[in-house]
Amino acid sequence: MTRLDLRAPSVYVPMLLLVLALVAPVAVPNAFFRSVLIEAAIFALLGVGWNILGGYAGQLSLGHAAYFGMGAYTSTLLLVYGGVATIYGMWVGAVMAMLLSIPIGLASFRLRGPYFAIASIATAETLRLLALKFREFTFGALGTTIPLTPNAPLNFLFADKLGLYYTAVTLVLVAVAATAWIERNKLGFYLVAVGQDEDAAEAVGVRSPWVKQQANFVSAFVSALAGTLYVQYTYFIQPDTVFGLAISTEAVLVAIVGGVGTLWGPVIGALLLQPIAAVAQAQLGSTYAGAQLIVYSVILLVVILARPSGVVGVLSPVYWRALSILPGAAIDRRRRVAPASEVSRASAA
Amino acid sequence: MPALLRVERLSKRFGGLRAVQDVSFEVQEGEILALIGPNGAGKTTTFHLITGFHRADSGRVLFGDSDLVGLRPSAVCLKGVCRTFQVARPFGDMTVLENVMTGAFSRRPRRAAAASRAREVLGLVGLEGKIDVLARDLTTIDQRRLEVARALSTDPRLVLLDETMAGLNQAEADVAVALVRRLREEGLTVVIVEHVMRAIMAIADRIVVLDHGQKIAEGLPREVVDDPEVVRAYLGSSYRHAS
Repeated sequence: MTRLDLRAPSVYVPMLLLVLALVAPVAVPNAFFRSVLIEAAIFALLGVGWNILGGYAGQLSLGHAAYFGMGAYTSTLLLVYGGVATIYGMWVGAVMAMLLSIPIGLASFRLRGPYFAIASIATAETLRLLALKFREFTFGALGTTIPLTPNAPLNFLFADKLGLYYTAVTLVLVAVAATAWIERNKLGFYLVAVGQDEDAAEAVGVRSPWVKQQANFVSAFVSALAGTLYVQYTYFIQPDTVFGLAISTEAVLVAIVGGVGTLWGPVIGALLLQPIAAVAQAQLGSTYAGAQLIVYSVILLVVILARPSGVVGVLSPVYWRALSILPGAAIDRRRRVAPASEVSRASAA
Repeated sequence: MPALLRVERLSKRFGGLRAVQDVSFEVQEGEILALIGPNGAGKTTTFHLITGFHRADSGRVLFGDSDLVGLRPSAVCLKGVCRTFQVARPFGDMTVLENVMTGAFSRRPRRAAAASRAREVLGLVGLEGKIDVLARDLTTIDQRRLEVARALSTDPRLVLLDETMAGLNQAEADVAVALVRRLREEGLTVVIVEHVMRAIMAIADRIVVLDHGQKIAEGLPREVVDDPEVVRAYLGSSYRHAS
C-alpha cells in the first residue's frame, strides 16, 4: 500500500472535491439548491447500481425500477406497519431486491441483447401492476405518505434535509468504492469480458450466467438503497413513481450521459442531469406543460450524439491534465498514479 | 499409453445439414495433431463440439476420464481444454495485459498472480512490448497472438488453435510455427485447424482429414498427402508437384 501523501494532487484534489460536496449545501442555504443536490445524490446512487450490471457487464437493463421500487416499498411498509426504522429497513429492502434479482436473472440471462432489455422492462411493469393490485397491503394507486415525525434521524427524517443529503453522499461514496474494488479484481475483469464478448469470455473459463448474476446482486442491492432514500426524500410512495419507467430511464440516463462502465460516470451524469431537469422544470414547467421535457431531451440528444462515451470521456483527460500541472505533480509522476491509458494519450498529443 | 483426448463417433446436424458425421480420432499427450479439409468440412464445428459451444447430437469427447459433451465452454476450459477462435475475438476495450489477465484469473483468483502469469504468456507469444495497448488497436496478426496468449493463460493441457496462421505471410507463418513448437516444448498438446499446408507439414505429427463432415483419412503427414482420396477432396493434383 502506498501511503497517502497530502502534497500529491492525486490525493488533495479528490479531498477538496469531497469537502466541496459536503460544504456546498451549507454554504448555499437555499432550499431549491439543496433539493437538487439530494436528488442528484439519490440518482447518482441508482446510476452507480445500474452501472455494475448495465455498464460493466453490458446487460442493458431498462427495468431497474424493479429494484428501486422493491427497496422503496420494503422499507416503507416495514416502517408503516411495523414501525421498523428506515435505517434498518433499507438493508432489508436491499436484501429483498437481491432475492428478487434471482428469478429475474434466471429468466432473463438466457436472453441476449435487446431481448434482455425487453424482459427487464416487463419485470418492472409486472411489479408495478402487482403493487397496484394488492392495494390492501401496498395502498395501491393512492399510495401512502410515510409517518411524519419532526426529527427522526433513524428514519432519515431531518429538520432541514441536510442529514438525508449526507446519508446519500455517504452511500454513493461506499458504492463507488465497492465498484472500484470490483473493477480492479477478478469479478470486474469477468464483468467487462462478458459485456464485450460472452463467447470469448466462456472460452477462457468465465461462467457467464453466474458472473451476470453476481453483477445483478450488487446492482439490485445498491439500486434498492436509492429507492429507500427517494421515499424518505419525497415522503410519499406510489407504484407509478417508484416502479415507473421514468425511474428505470433515469438510471440508464445518468450512466450513459456520465459514462457507461466508468467508475464516476453515473455520479457525474447525475450531477449534470438533475440540475438541468430541476431548472427546466422550475422555469418552464408552469408556463408550458411538458416544455421542460423537451429541453431535457434535446440536451440528452446533444450529449449522446457529441460524446457517445459520456461526459467522463471529456472530463477524464482534463482532470489528469490538471493534476499534472498542479503543485506537487512531481510526486504523482514518481508514483505513476495516472492510468496507463491517460499517459499514452498525453504522450500521443 | 491412453490418449489425452478421445473423440468417439461425434455427430452434429444443423437442420438437414450433417456438419459432422461419426467422426472419431485420438490425440496423444504431447502430440501436435492437424485437422485439415476443404471449407465446410466440419473442422470448426468439431472444435465447437469439443469445447462445448455446440452440443453434440451423439458421440463422446473423452478428456482423460471425463466426457466433455454437455459441459459449458467455461467448464471445458477449466478441465484444461482451451481454444482460439477462427476470427480473433479480443475484448476490445481492455488492454492487452487485461485481456490475458482475464484468462489467467481462471486459475489464479489474485490480481498480482494473474498479472504475472499474463506477462509470462505475453512474452511467449512476443507481445510483451504492447502490454498497455488497447486490444482493438492491435493489428490482425497481433490480435491472433493475443488470442493464443489468452488461451494459454488458462493453463490448458490441450489447446485447439483454429486457423491461427490464415493470412500470414511466409515469415510470419514461420514465427507462428516456431510458437506452436514452443508450446509443445512447454508440455502442451495441440490440435490445429489450418489451411497453410507448408506450416502443417512442418509441425504436425499426425493429420486427420475431414470432408463433408466425415473423416476420410488419418495418418502421418507424408502418408496423408499421398492419399489419392485426400488429393481428390482437398489438396488437388497440383499439390504433389508443387511440394
